[in-house]
Amino acid sequence: MPYIAKLEKAGVPTVIVDFEDQLNMIRHTGLEYGVPNARVVHSSRTIPGPEDVENWVEAVLEGLTKPLTKKEKESGRYAPPQERILFEGTLDEAQAFYQKNRHVPIPVDAPICVYTDGLPIIVPTEEKVKEMLTGTSHKPDELITYQRSVEAPAGFAGMGISRKKGDVVKFHPNEWTATVEKVATIAVMAGCKPEHLPVILAIAESGCRTGTTVMNSQAVCLSGPIVDELQMNTGCGMFGPGSPVNAPIGRSYQLMAINLSGSIPGVNRMSSLGSPLNNGGTCFAERASSLPPGWLGLNEEYSFEKDDSVVMVMGFEGGISGRQFSPGGYRALQKSGHGAIARRLGVKGTPGPHNWLEYYIHSLWANREGPVTLVMIPEMAKHLYEYGFKSKDAVYEWLWKKSFRPVSEYRDRSWGDMTTNGWMGIESVSKKHWKEMTDDFPVPMGGPNPVNNCIIVASSEEEICLNLEGGRGQAYSIDAWR
Amino acid sequence: MAATKDKVYKCLNPVGIQEPVDISPLAPRLDTLEGKTIHFSITGEPDITIALEKKLKMDYPDINWTAKKSYTPMPNQLTDEEIKTTDGVILGVCW
Repeated sequence: MPYIAKLEKAGVPTVIVDFEDQLNMIRHTGLEYGVPNARVVHSSRTIPGPEDVENWVEAVLEGLTKPLTKKEKESGRYAPPQERILFEGTLDEAQAFYQKNRHVPIPVDAPICVYTDGLPIIVPTEEKVKEMLTGTSHKPDELITYQRSVEAPAGFAGMGISRKKGDVVKFHPNEWTATVEKVATIAVMAGCKPEHLPVILAIAESGCRTGTTVMNSQAVCLSGPIVDELQMNTGCGMFGPGSPVNAPIGRSYQLMAINLSGSIPGVNRMSSLGSPLNNGGTCFAERASSLPPGWLGLNEEYSFEKDDSVVMVMGFEGGISGRQFSPGGYRALQKSGHGAIARRLGVKGTPGPHNWLEYYIHSLWANREGPVTLVMIPEMAKHLYEYGFKSKDAVYEWLWKKSFRPVSEYRDRSWGDMTTNGWMGIESVSKKHWKEMTDDFPVPMGGPNPVNNCIIVASSEEEICLNLEGGRGQAYSIDAWR
Repeated sequence: MAATKDKVYKCLNPVGIQEPVDISPLAPRLDTLEGKTIHFSITGEPDITIALEKKLKMDYPDINWTAKKSYTPMPNQLTDEEIKTTDGVILGVCW
């Protein structure tokens, strides 16, 4: 939309061709960029292209010539009221007010809450917000700014953004800004305590993006002393319900996306079926004391110190998956080399340690490409260490090398066209043009860089490794917001 | 208890800060397309865009067509110099 706004403001008439269900988003985003009435012609999601085009090609050309309506000639200033006090009343009245909803038309066609994620919130009274603000030394009216300069990792559809220390954070998609007090208000609504506030402020630094039209999942992972300080659940069920720390912090991300980013399903948050990870929010943590010797903590991987507390904010498109092991199946592999996994790995009868990732990666890139985030228990990390992976980087490199497939196979993927720009660009690893490669030329399915993969070691006991199907996010200092 | 229940609270606004936006009128439309340079900014959805580009070039030969392609929703944009010599833009399929 910034491109369309630039053209229209430069005096170049434009017409957008897009699906009807995207109209809310076009209008909403157009308003943010000063062209709320951009002309749109609707194409079909189901009619074959040549037949579809016949239906509307005349309308496209008319869009460039048909005189402007009165509404399309309108100019002015969009400046909605922004009162600090949103509501005055009793707690019951306030609860009902913050819980209010409005009907969002197709592609939703259902009520969607204005200020909440659908569940009741703690009412952010002045008193409660004031108490929350005791959790930080930052002033209530201070704008949220970047606390550290970082170059974003390259790649389409990532949540990565380049940032410069001191720049004001813009919350995507509406490019709104926020103060420390607004973040504290949301922390109250989510059920946080004052000691959680530096974490929520650090998460706010990410701009709380909500991704694209596919299935973006957002999650945050904490690392460093803060994990023990807040008594986070890093063990059994850490992705599930029950923690008074993981849950409200995860919820805060989504409440910030709703309120600070202005993110509305079917209007400007177009994730087709949505992701359950965003329903209530997802927050988890690394158990650094369970890392094998030589394996860096998440904070250290981002050039912070071991004693620094950070939060990694992730947005990944592939959902979450795991690999099931039969009761005792994994243990049999490592203890004595028995069972199905041992058969697949060709180590029948040979006691471990064995590289269980050989079993795990069997279908890792079958239907998607790109890096992965593996969340594993300490015992399985230890087995990898004993097998020979003396650092996380060694695992990342091994995973990445295993991801290479011939161009002929890569070409059969829907996603391939996107990352190669229709095979018209240069492959980032070999530096060869895609069209110059022979069918058997190996290219990485695991993305351009091994370290885009990520490993988190948690502290549960039952053997499992979850795959958050996307690479590492960006990390933000929690200490900077204390 | 009744006093507490009836107590009036001031509750804060969690909504992000919207900087004022200057709304612009759309660019004036063209009197005719004949002899004009119209740019087709292609952004993915090849089933539609290939058919549309073909039809535009075949059925409207009096228009000077230019095009740039991207297979992502991010358009491959005209330069400022190219904008100066472009009379209209069709963008699809995305916004």
